[in-house]
Amino acid sequence: MNKQGLFSWNLLQDKVLSRRKLIRGAAGTALGAGLLPPKLVYAHDANDDNERAACVGPNPIPGGGAPLKPLGIFVHHNPLNAAIPLANINDPSQITDFDGFVGLTNIHGAGTGTDATGATTQLAFRADMGFSKGKFIGTDGRLHKGTFAFV
Amino acid sequence: MIPVSPESVQVDFDSGRASLRVRDLDVFDDHDLANSLTQGLGIPSSPISQPGVFPVRAKVSFDVEWNAALATAQIENSAQHFKGSFLSTGATINWSVEQPGFQFQSEEPPLPGRNLISVLGREQNGVFFT
Repeated sequence: MNKQGLFSWNLLQDKVLSRRKLIRGAAGTALGAGLLPPKLVYAHDANDDNERAACVGPNPIPGGGAPLKPLGIFVHHNPLNAAIPLANINDPSQITDFDGFVGLTNIHGAGTGTDATGATTQLAFRADMGFSKGKFIGTDGRLHKGTFAFV
Repeated sequence: MIPVSPESVQVDFDSGRASLRVRDLDVFDDHDLANSLTQGLGIPSSPISQPGVFPVRAKVSFDVEWNAALATAQIENSAQHFKGSFLSTGATINWSVEQPGFQFQSEEPPLPGRNLISVLGREQNGVFFT
């Protein structure tokens, strides 16, 4: 860490917490908060009928967790935990009635933020991201294929 | 879950590799997880009170790579109704974002040592769990 980083560690940490907002903000998108209007145009039924499936989404897994327990906000997602052996993980999928490939990653890193003046700041982030790709029973009760990102 | 094009996700499960590539995804920068989950209201009650922050429109791009299987497991979890083959893998992420007055680019090239834990799976759950 450079000298400036040492002197401004608290500030950096504050920025870290706030600027990882982006990826966390995107998680809000995935979870329905701060959501831009979703278009499920890529979720198509088994016969590739995009039009009929245009408004069809998957159902969430029953399980998950409550990261803001006092507020009663439940999230249908089981975060990975490096302390838990692979054989004992919870369902890594966020959608149920699903048959396909899933990926999850819990990863951190650093990068450079640039503001409107061109000033740069070294920032850190942590991301909890993944995907689901396969067939699923949609909210319409029919079989579909789809590819989804958990951001 | 955000629907993406089928081409955005490539999986070669037998070699323990997969990728998730998305460009210019419209999102709201909600500032932090709590603000996101409360849709900009923040957390009003102590002891973890946090003021709400108005979300900002942003575009995010990311490349996530899962690579190199480190461990494998066959799971059949009747309590959670899921089963399948799972791999613990390495992973890297390269991502960037743009919004009014701010942009961010993660370190390049992404460092494999940043991975905390990553998993790939070929699974069935819900009605496909039989």
